[in-house]
Amino acid sequence: MTEPDIHLTSRRRFLRRSGLGIGSLAFARMASLDGSAHAGDAGHFPGKAKAVIHVFLNGGMSQVDTFDPKPELTRRNGQMLPFDNLLTERRTGVALASPFEFRKHGESGIPVSDLFPHLAKCVDKMAVIRSMHAELPSHELSLMLMNSGDQRLVRPSVGSWLNWGMGSENHNLPGFVVLCPGGLPVGGTNNWRSAFLPGVYQGTLIDTSEKDPAKLISHIRNERLDTAEQSRQFELLRTLNSGHLERRPGEAALEARIKSFELAYRMQAEATDAFDISREPASIRELYGTGQQNEQLLMARRLVEQGVRFVQVWHGKGQPWDSHNNIKDSHRKVAGQCDQGLAALLVDLEQRGMLDETLVICSGEFGRTPTVELGVQGGGATLGRDHNHWGFSLWMAGGGIKGGTIHGATDEFGFKAVENPVSIHDLHATILHLLGIDHKRMTYRYAGRDFRLTDVHGSVVRQVIA
Amino acid sequence: MGSCRGEKKTGVPLTWITFVMLQAPCFLFSESSSPEVDFRSEVLPILSENCFHCHGPDSADRKAGLRLDTVEGAHQTLESGEIAVVGSHPEKSALVDRVSTSDPDERMPPPETGKSLTSTEIETLRRWISSGGHYEEHWAFLPIQPQSPPGNTDPTGSEIDRFLVAALADRGLAFSPPASRSRLIRRASFDLVGLPPKWSEVKAFVEDPAPTQEAFARVVDRLLASPAYGERWGRHWLDLARYADTHGASAIGFTRFAFSYTYRDYVIKAFNEDKPYDRFLLEQIAADQLSLEENDPSLAALGFLTIGRQFRNRHDVLDDQIDVITRGLLGLTVSCARCHDHKFDPIPTADYYALHATLANSEMPANLPFVGDVDIPEAYASEFAKRKRLRDDIVHEQGEVFRGRLRMQAGLYLAELAKGVPEQDTSTSFLSYRTEDLRPVILERWRTYLKQLEASDPVFGPWHQLATLNPDSYLEDCEALIAKLEKENGDPKKFEEEHRFATKAPQWNPRILEAIRKRKPASFVEVAEAYGEVFGQVHRDWLRSLLDASAEAAPGGELVPDQDARHRIVNSAIERQLRHHLYAPTSPTSLSFENPKDLMMLNRGVRDPVRGTLGAIDGLNRGNTAPPRSMILRESTSPPKESFVFLRGNPVARGERVEPAFLSALSPNGPVRFRDGSRRLDLAKAIVDPGNPLTRRVVVNWIWQHHFESGLVRTPDDFGTRGAPPTHPELLDYLAESLLEDGWSMKKMHRRIMLSKAYQQDSTERPAARNKDPDNNLLWRMPKRKLKLESMRDALLAASGELREEGGGRPFEETDEKATPQRSVYAFINRDVISDMAATFDGADPSACTVKRPETMVPQQTLFALNSDFIQDRARALVELPEIKDASGDRDRIHRIYHRVYGRSPDQEELAVALAYLSDSPDPAGALPQFVHALFAANEFHFID
Repeated sequence: MTEPDIHLTSRRRFLRRSGLGIGSLAFARMASLDGSAHAGDAGHFPGKAKAVIHVFLNGGMSQVDTFDPKPELTRRNGQMLPFDNLLTERRTGVALASPFEFRKHGESGIPVSDLFPHLAKCVDKMAVIRSMHAELPSHELSLMLMNSGDQRLVRPSVGSWLNWGMGSENHNLPGFVVLCPGGLPVGGTNNWRSAFLPGVYQGTLIDTSEKDPAKLISHIRNERLDTAEQSRQFELLRTLNSGHLERRPGEAALEARIKSFELAYRMQAEATDAFDISREPASIRELYGTGQQNEQLLMARRLVEQGVRFVQVWHGKGQPWDSHNNIKDSHRKVAGQCDQGLAALLVDLEQRGMLDETLVICSGEFGRTPTVELGVQGGGATLGRDHNHWGFSLWMAGGGIKGGTIHGATDEFGFKAVENPVSIHDLHATILHLLGIDHKRMTYRYAGRDFRLTDVHGSVVRQVIA
Repeated sequence: MGSCRGEKKTGVPLTWITFVMLQAPCFLFSESSSPEVDFRSEVLPILSENCFHCHGPDSADRKAGLRLDTVEGAHQTLESGEIAVVGSHPEKSALVDRVSTSDPDERMPPPETGKSLTSTEIETLRRWISSGGHYEEHWAFLPIQPQSPPGNTDPTGSEIDRFLVAALADRGLAFSPPASRSRLIRRASFDLVGLPPKWSEVKAFVEDPAPTQEAFARVVDRLLASPAYGERWGRHWLDLARYADTHGASAIGFTRFAFSYTYRDYVIKAFNEDKPYDRFLLEQIAADQLSLEENDPSLAALGFLTIGRQFRNRHDVLDDQIDVITRGLLGLTVSCARCHDHKFDPIPTADYYALHATLANSEMPANLPFVGDVDIPEAYASEFAKRKRLRDDIVHEQGEVFRGRLRMQAGLYLAELAKGVPEQDTSTSFLSYRTEDLRPVILERWRTYLKQLEASDPVFGPWHQLATLNPDSYLEDCEALIAKLEKENGDPKKFEEEHRFATKAPQWNPRILEAIRKRKPASFVEVAEAYGEVFGQVHRDWLRSLLDASAEAAPGGELVPDQDARHRIVNSAIERQLRHHLYAPTSPTSLSFENPKDLMMLNRGVRDPVRGTLGAIDGLNRGNTAPPRSMILRESTSPPKESFVFLRGNPVARGERVEPAFLSALSPNGPVRFRDGSRRLDLAKAIVDPGNPLTRRVVVNWIWQHHFESGLVRTPDDFGTRGAPPTHPELLDYLAESLLEDGWSMKKMHRRIMLSKAYQQDSTERPAARNKDPDNNLLWRMPKRKLKLESMRDALLAASGELREEGGGRPFEETDEKATPQRSVYAFINRDVISDMAATFDGADPSACTVKRPETMVPQQTLFALNSDFIQDRARALVELPEIKDASGDRDRIHRIYHRVYGRSPDQEELAVALAYLSDSPDPAGALPQFVHALFAANEFHFID
């Protein structure tokens, strides 16, 4: 079964009942496929957030070095933990104290390590969940889980669900944009695929190492015709199409494609602006700072401002946060690349009055072990940390999040989520809730079954909601 | 019911999207107040949609003990004393009461489901109960019935038409007038070969003096005979078969299949040869079990099962195979039953795992057969042998090292088992190992191995007894047991004899008994450690003895007689008892690495280089010199393992035992166990059995759908109770019967369909008819269709005169800069990185069986039409064709361009527009390709009338 027919049919039927004629169906069809709401513009209940920026620290951010300080780890540095190390991808050894210093920040006093000096000033806007957990210590599987709620099977990603459910607020831009500099993260396009939802809901990848905005969207410019020539040709096209339609009156699909041409023609002029951060005033560019990470965070804000529903900002190709070796230098490096931009994003969104409506999520696919990773056969310790799906931290801000909150806890070493554990399904349920969608009621029928982002799981983490 | 959700005042907008409209057709007919209620088309959809989730076939989730999908369940008295359905008494029926009450605590379906019944639906249920509340079996599971077409109202129509005309007439409707010949040939060409007709073909048909039916029959036959037919219909099949050229699920980048294309080429050829559909399926599911020659080209058919997404988890691979077989060929969503009984259809989890068992013991062998008698280039053959030898040598050597360590670690695994660790899920391997890490696969091998040993085994016989001793008095009981066993062994003095090339040995291995006795174990885990110590020593002694024995053969080495005491270890029958468990091929430590996945167990440092040698063979096979091979499966010849239901889909939570067998709902006389060695063949036979009510209905519906845009069943991959009932049930059965009559010929089916008036009618919109039948279920016109991805691309290449007719073999890759003028079916399909074109133009999702593609209309598509190099390059190529260049002036040129692009001549107005466009241009040379580009972009090119 293919769903579009279904909701089209019901929409068509609905329109017919509402007394609208066939002619207006063209628009209905286009609008619905082009991304108007299936969860209802208002959703199931009023939600604060209208858009999401998901900053993906791919590779896995270490919780005990960032948002989950563990004095016990420092005390036992170099000693074996009092229990068997939990099973992770590789073998780990003794406790490894964090090489970073923690300090409490803001009115809430949320501790943040010195990896994020800028971001630390924003803690009162943030809710830190310290009790996240995934299912397996493997990048691909955990990435799939984080992005689509299923670690093995091909399921639609969160951004695809949201766009299908809520539609786009800007028909000149894709509703789900993926920013990643330099190449693909692990798992590639699986991370933002629409699976059984129509292809139009999949993420549009923008390689932010490309500086020319015109090259960011396929076919957005005609490289061969100048504007005058193209406009003359477009007139010809209009004439051809209207002559064709006249001989086939009332044909909704033909009308829809004609409208789509008009839209495409307009997009040529407007769409690239959204990606063009050179249009930002100097003060804003200074706020974010330079460098790929900071600049793509600024681009994310521009996109959300233009009505893009879901922007996912990846740190880079491969797995830049995957600090198996020398956590001190490698985490320092990647955190330093995005710290200023992350803080700027929150400040900037707030200044513009957009923070309430924009949910910012910052996470990896899992965390890292509090114990030191042992090297390959015969090698010693690496001073790095292995993957850790048993417990990790992430933070969210804006979009109805209760700022200055810490939710959940790991054990005294930061290995495993033990207090109020939050699963990825819970996270998804919470994200949908913040956008006004009941995760149990946003379903899509495919292959005889009603699918949900959260499958049969998930409960909303109300403690982080304002 | 979905149709009424939109009106519901309290519902959130989402629900009316979610609740599907598929049952609409039946309501169109039933709304007109017929007093008879049809259970199948009216009642069952309501029950299925709203009730079966909690009161259906799934026994585990059933609420209040009520089952509404069977007559027994509906009529039984519940614990609450209520009866859901009391025949002829709606007022006594709890069902009616519960769906109509306003009490939220009582109301069904419960408010949290977001569902509720409309007053029309409640009324339908009430009327149904009033008339007795009878159940009928779901239509799709009933046998296909021979059908004779209704009375003949129009002697010129075909039998197919008579079914359709009758239904149209009931609603005061009739077919549209016949389409013009030029429209008709364009329609038929795209339908059968996926390409526009040539102008000469259009002309020949339009000018053919024969009656249209006769002339058109010749067109259809010509198209069916064209090799392009297989390329078109093969592509439809490849959607269903979720065809792709890469593995999917790669961590970084993607991995190509070396030989996926041999399946694609098999499919195209099968369509062109009009391979009977039953044979086509037999080959795709079980070609290896059809007694074919070793290199028979039809073995490539097994790609149907092997080119799916290569999930890491074996059970996901099998799930994908089950899905493509059941959803694609039978129209049943059996995959739903992986974790629980199907919620809506009579498919218990046991049926799912019966299919799982059917497929689970087949694997792709390392050596694949060639596709027919192919030339094997010398360079390839020698390079292949070289790389294979390297792989075999490295796998053997690293395997020896690995096996040696496993033998030394026997105690580690035995101790884990003694601790009682639960069964490990070994279906996904992702961990990276060092020597000391325990491998779950090996642990499970030990567990299974020990279970299968006889109680009298001299080494592990005591193990089983020691496992059952009372933990509170362990040492005491253990000592007593050991003493008893040692006594059974008799005098230890005779053991000395048995170290000397003896074949006889004590009943219980004395070394084991001694080790345990000395250990004074306080628990079973310590017993395991004692075993481990003995095995470690046995392994060391053996290696040392081998070294010593070898050294005797060195130049100047001391020659020792074979019976000499220095060969005591080698010759000892007691040692041999122990060594059996370490070195026999059955030992858990004797891992052969026949399955390349086992290489994941090697230590991290050597794993990747070793797997690299396999990759090198793959790499050679992906190269241009590699001859084609069939991606086959082979059923394992070793005794098949027992199969079980996995509770909630969890492979280590075993439920009831299952046998390899067919779906119970489709086995009227009860499931028959498939024979070992031909499990898949038996499955395929059950699928194509003429008594199977689904296979033929599903495929004729599939063919119909590709001619008319929609099938007679609008849910082509769900013929279950929640699918749409057929718009014309008798016609569906008529077609299914015709397929059998025609010897399962698909080409004859096309002919039957295309020679109908229904197919040949015009496609012009008719508002009056649409008012009566908004979704054109009755076919009062031919639906207008948009070209799909492949037809669009191929039609552009055909119009520009560039399309190469030959194709096949390794897929081509197209770049933005340079087009490859081959048909799209031969393009590289990347499952890991979906191409821009495929994403933009709704290409089939190559990760799962696609029976019907979604269709969208988005600006990315029109941006492609406006700005892509591809479309502009085709326009340029067209104007460079000699026939265009050599035209006698612009008028003639425009005519020729219209012939090529639209298969018709321009009218006066169009000619005037074109001339004006060319003459007004500031750039006369550039204007012509711009003009052609506009024709390519315009709606006329993209829609079929």
